[in-house]
Formats: sequence, structure tokens, C-alpha cells
Amino acid sequence: MADHQQGVSSSGVAPEEDLSTTQTATVGQSRRLVDAFTRSRLIVVAVIATAVVLAYLRADSPVIATQAIVTGLLIGGVYGLVAMGLTLIFGVLDIVNFAHGAFLAVALFITWWLVSSMGFHPYLTMLATAPIMFALGYAVQRGILSGAMGKPLENQLLITLGISLVLENALLLFFGANPRAVALPGNQTVGVLGAVADLSRILAFVGALILAGLLFLVLQRTRLGTAIRAVAANDTGAQLVGIDTRRIYALTFAIGTACAGAAGTLVAPLVTVEPSTGALFNIVAFVVVVIGGMGNVVGALVGGLIIGLAEQLGTIFLPGQSPLLSVFIVFVLVLFLRPQGLFGRTS
Amino acid sequence: MKKAWFVGVALVAPLALTACGDSGTGGGGATGGGSGETIKIASLHPLSGAAAADGQQMDNGAKLAAEAINAAGGIKSLGGAKIEIVSADSQGKPEVGQSEAQRVIQDGAVGIVGAYQSAVSANIATVAERNKVPFVIDVSSADSILSQGYKYTFRVQPSASVIGQQGAQYLFDMSKAAGKPVKKVAFLHEQGPFGTGVRDAFTKKATELGFEVGPALSYDAASVADLTTQMTQVKASGADVLAVTGYYRDGVLVAKAVNSVKPPVNAVYGVANGAFDLPQFPKETGAAGEGYFDANYHPDYTKQTTKDLAALYKSKYNDDIRTGAVLSYDAVRVLADAMERAKSKEPQKIREAITQTNLESLMAQSGPIAFDEKGENKGAIPILMQVQKGVVNQVWPADLAQAEPTYPAMGG
Repeated sequence: MADHQQGVSSSGVAPEEDLSTTQTATVGQSRRLVDAFTRSRLIVVAVIATAVVLAYLRADSPVIATQAIVTGLLIGGVYGLVAMGLTLIFGVLDIVNFAHGAFLAVALFITWWLVSSMGFHPYLTMLATAPIMFALGYAVQRGILSGAMGKPLENQLLITLGISLVLENALLLFFGANPRAVALPGNQTVGVLGAVADLSRILAFVGALILAGLLFLVLQRTRLGTAIRAVAANDTGAQLVGIDTRRIYALTFAIGTACAGAAGTLVAPLVTVEPSTGALFNIVAFVVVVIGGMGNVVGALVGGLIIGLAEQLGTIFLPGQSPLLSVFIVFVLVLFLRPQGLFGRTS
Repeated sequence: MKKAWFVGVALVAPLALTACGDSGTGGGGATGGGSGETIKIASLHPLSGAAAADGQQMDNGAKLAAEAINAAGGIKSLGGAKIEIVSADSQGKPEVGQSEAQRVIQDGAVGIVGAYQSAVSANIATVAERNKVPFVIDVSSADSILSQGYKYTFRVQPSASVIGQQGAQYLFDMSKAAGKPVKKVAFLHEQGPFGTGVRDAFTKKATELGFEVGPALSYDAASVADLTTQMTQVKASGADVLAVTGYYRDGVLVAKAVNSVKPPVNAVYGVANGAFDLPQFPKETGAAGEGYFDANYHPDYTKQTTKDLAALYKSKYNDDIRTGAVLSYDAVRVLADAMERAKSKEPQKIREAITQTNLESLMAQSGPIAFDEKGENKGAIPILMQVQKGVVNQVWPADLAQAEPTYPAMGG
């Protein structure tokens, strides 16, 4: 338990810690701190702007650069959406959830099943996937993970890795390995500033923004959200004021998993549905979480957009390289400038 | 400390996922059954992981071959000995493939068929060579596997360079016959040895034939989520044909991106593409995949035996057979045929007999299966397929065609 508390208080997740540091510091120091924060963020913004301008200069035609930016932002929204649940779980439970991609894959298959055999509209299935994944997340936390709470991180890491293996191979067993597709009725190509995008991608992007807003409101404006933030900041303190931390752990994990469920439904029309599809998002989601500031929902969304842009602009700057190369260049750059993540200060 | 942990995890996550990804369902396998002795042949394929769909198909193909051989009386020169397929899971990972190959050989397998991914096959080939056990590659295209002078490794499918060269030749011939000779090809490919190998062979042949290849664009098949940007580059390049080399999932992304960007090309032309010639592809992409070509190794559905196998597969596994499964079927037949002629189940003697193979293939080939001194199948060629009204038809060369090619295939 002591280890766990120490982990929380030393992280950039807890807003109180940063604030209290600022308060106890002299005015000069605090200004320097604020300057440092804004400066590094300004640097990031400047780097992005430079990259965009260079992309226009470097690309054979401006349309290519515009397309890269539009595609990057749209994909980035999806990355952010996937990372939101991950960052929430990490911020509160201190768990590196390797099963997040597998949960997303489960949601993909639920969506596929409801669409193909029940004839539901793909987006309507979210009414099923989010609650089902919420229940699954709750059960997994209560049944499997609760015993490992407060234990060293590698315990939980191995458990979630195990859950992901079980889920992926269960999907393989029940549904087989053949690729499946979820078609969005009325899907068409839409022109955006000279570039093009599928309607399904735009809707997934809008859905990501709405969900991020909802999650943000829940965390900021509700009693449950306040309790969640309290547990994230200091779980012993939260216990002392009468918060049932075990219930908050389970609920937070369930909300995070429900986010994966909603993300699964939103991305279903964009991807080939296979048991291993969720794992594709895992690596990028981890990077997004760190860039955005661990435990920060808005940071996850912004981090996702940055990574989406980096990936697509990378195809212009570094043709023929893996998109992960440009992603990790940005990752290292952000870690260098702001080790606590872009939004590490606020929660 | 927590933060350091997470950053560390994010950094090693790709490695960790590769190292301890989904573990497999090894073991199992069909039983030889019946009286007399059984001879074990190992089927070593990716039964789990991202390529599981193909791996399981190929494993089924190997089992069907054994069942057919056993039903026809087994290996007659060995007193009707039955073939038993020992299934093993490579998980698509070279090191797992290598250790599984070692295991099945110790289990008494006298031959191995496999392994789908070129990197996995390359590792199994070294194990086969060391243990002097014949390894018949069903699917794995990299030329480098057989350029090491191995004596125990043979390949049923055409190599990457053969597919690339023939692909350029077919495109040249077909577009010329249609009255719109190809001038400039944009080449989009996955960035691994498979994609670059095919592209290089294609480009070399194209230069000889007098048409241009460029720009060449690549992507990472494992992580690509959208190809719209690349497609915009194709559109800006002014190419009249888009050639694509890759796997299934990315092939579907290509079709989606072409459908949104609409580059003004006469055709989308797969070269050894893992998507465009599969029956699942038109089902998943619908109208977006209509007219797509693929120059690839392919079962010859003008042959009755191949049609029968496809029907049997459909009834037994309730799924459309893929090319890989037919190749695995052929690979097991190569081993059984060699045992029949060698009158032995000694791996070394089987190897000697394989070099003398002359076996009719279920694939579209220029001749029967016969191996050259490197172990390449001399009869193996790609043929040209096209998605026509939601069905994949063989369209070129004429003697193997089921239908006429439609070129230009796209509105542009």
C-alpha cells in the first residue's frame, strides 16, 4: 500500500501536488514554473506548425499535405478515444492495462454480431457495447484485479497481459480467424478543404470528441467524478473522508473498459474485424497516454491528435518508413521537453 | 516511479507484445488411424496471431491431403502406411517456428510443410538442414530462403522475383492487347522484404519492357490504419496503373482509400497481393473492389480436382478455400509422392526422391511440380485474376483463363 501511495504522489497525475508546489514556492519560482510549462507547450505548438508548413513545401502538391493533415487529425481522434479509457484506468488504479486492446476487440465482435445477425445500425450497437463492456470491466476488476491492487506494478501488468491473451484467443476460438467487416449504411466520401475523407471516419472523430466531453463532464461535475479524482489524488485521504475506494476502483476500471467498448463500435466501420485488431491500437494508445499526461482525459485526446498528425506527416517526410518511426520521434521529443506529458499538470 | 514505469512500458510495449503475444494452441492434429504404421508429417503454420486465418486454412489443407492419400490406400510401397499430420503453431514468429520445428522432428516427423511468413520459413530451413529432414515450403516468397544452398528445403509456390517479373509481363501484354499500353505505374507496397523484393523484380522487368515505375510508396503492414495520404500521392503522380503488393488487411484499406480519393488510373493491379484474389475480398469491399487485378499464384479452377477440393473444403469447414490451403495440400502430396517412390520413410531418402518429383499440381502452373537444383518449383508461375461482378476470375494467360480481362477496369 505504501508503495502505491508513493506512486501516486510522485506522479504528474495529482493536480494538488503540482499546485501545492507552486503555492509554497515563492512568486518568482512559480512564475518560472509557469513560464516553463507554457514555454514547452509553445515549443510543441511551434514544432507542429513548422512540421505542417514543411509538409506543404515538401509535398509534390498541396493537396497531398492537406490530405495528410485531414487524415492525421481524423485518425488521431480515434487514437485519443482509445487512449482515454487507458489513461483513466492508469490515473486512478495505477494499472498498466495491457488488456485494453483486447477489450476493444471484444467490442468490435459484439458490434459485428449485432449488425450482421440482428440487423442493427452500427452506431446503435453502442447502446449494447458500452454497458456490456462496463459490466465486463467491473467483473474483471472485482474478480481478478482487486487482489493485486497496491501490489507491485508488474503483478497487475502480467494479469492484464494474461487477460488480453485469454480474450483474444477466446475470440479466435469462437469466431475463427476469418476477417469480417462492418458496413456503415450511407457511408460516402466527403470533401474537406480539397482533401477527402470517409463519412465513417468523420463520424468516429466527432464521436470521439463527444465522448471525451462527456467523460470530462462526468469527472468534473458529478459526485462520482469527484470521488474518482479524489482517489486518484490520494486514496488514503479519500478513504478517510468516507469514499469506498474499492468501489471507485471497480467503477473506474468499468468506465475505462466502457470507453474501449464505445471506441470499438466507432472504429468498427473503419477496420477489418479480427481477434488481433485491438492489439493494433495498443502500442499507439500507450504512447498517446504518456504524451498527453498520464491520467488526463483531455490530454489523451490532444495526444491522439498529435500522434495521428505525426503518423501521416511522417509519410511525407520519411517516405517508406514505418509510421511508428515518426510517432516515436515525437514521443521522445515530448518526453524531453515535458516528461510529465503535455497536460501533466492539470487533471 | 509510477511515471518511469509507464514510460518504460510504452517504450518496450512493442517488444513485449512481440515477445509474449498470444500463445498458441499447438499440438492436436489429425489421426492416421487404421491398421499398419503411420508416418508423421508436420504442418507448421501460424495458427494464432495476426495471420491465423491463413495459417488455419493451410493446416486444414494439409489435413485434407493426408485424408485423401489415406483414403486412396496410403503409401502403397510401404504396405499402405498412413500419413498423420502433426499440427504445430508457429504463432507467426521466427523463433517459435524454429523451436517447434525442432520439437516435431524429435517427435518423429519425417517431413515438414510450412510456414507462411518468410522469416519463419528461413529459420525452419536451417533446422531442417541441420537435422537432414525435408522441408517443403507451401507459402513464403522471399528469394533469400533458397539462396543459401540448402539441400533439404523445397518451395512449391513461385518466388517473389518470379511473381514480380511475370506480373510486369502480364500487365504489359494485357494492357497492350486492350489497346491502352501501360505507361507509368505507381507502386504501393508493404515495406518488408516481401514488398520490396516484389517491387524490385517488377521494376527491373518493367524497365526492360519500356514502361516507367514511380513513385514507389510503402507502408508498415502491421500498423497501417489509413492509406488516403498515399493514395493522394498516387493521384498527383499521374500514373495510369496503381500496382499494390501487401497482405489482406492493408489490401482492404487500399480499396477503401482508392474509393475515397479516386485516383485516375486504368486499373488497380495487385502483384502477389494477399487480398485482391481472395473470395473474401469482394465480399468485404463490395463495389469498391470491383475490377481489381491480382498477379499471383493461384489454384487452377479450370481443373476438376481443384474444384472438388474447393467443394470438399467448403462442406467440411464451411469456408471458402484460400490459395494457401491448396499449396499446403500440394506440399503434403509432394512428400507422400516422394515416399511412394523412395519406398522409404527415411528423411534422407525422401529428400533424394523429392529432387526427382514430377507431380501434377492443383495450382495454375506452366507444367508439373518439379524442383531445380536450388529447390524452386520449376512449374510455378503466377496467373492474373480479376474481380468481376463480385467473383474472382482467372483472366490471363489465355490458356488458364475463365473469363476475358476487363481493361481499363476503372472509370478514370
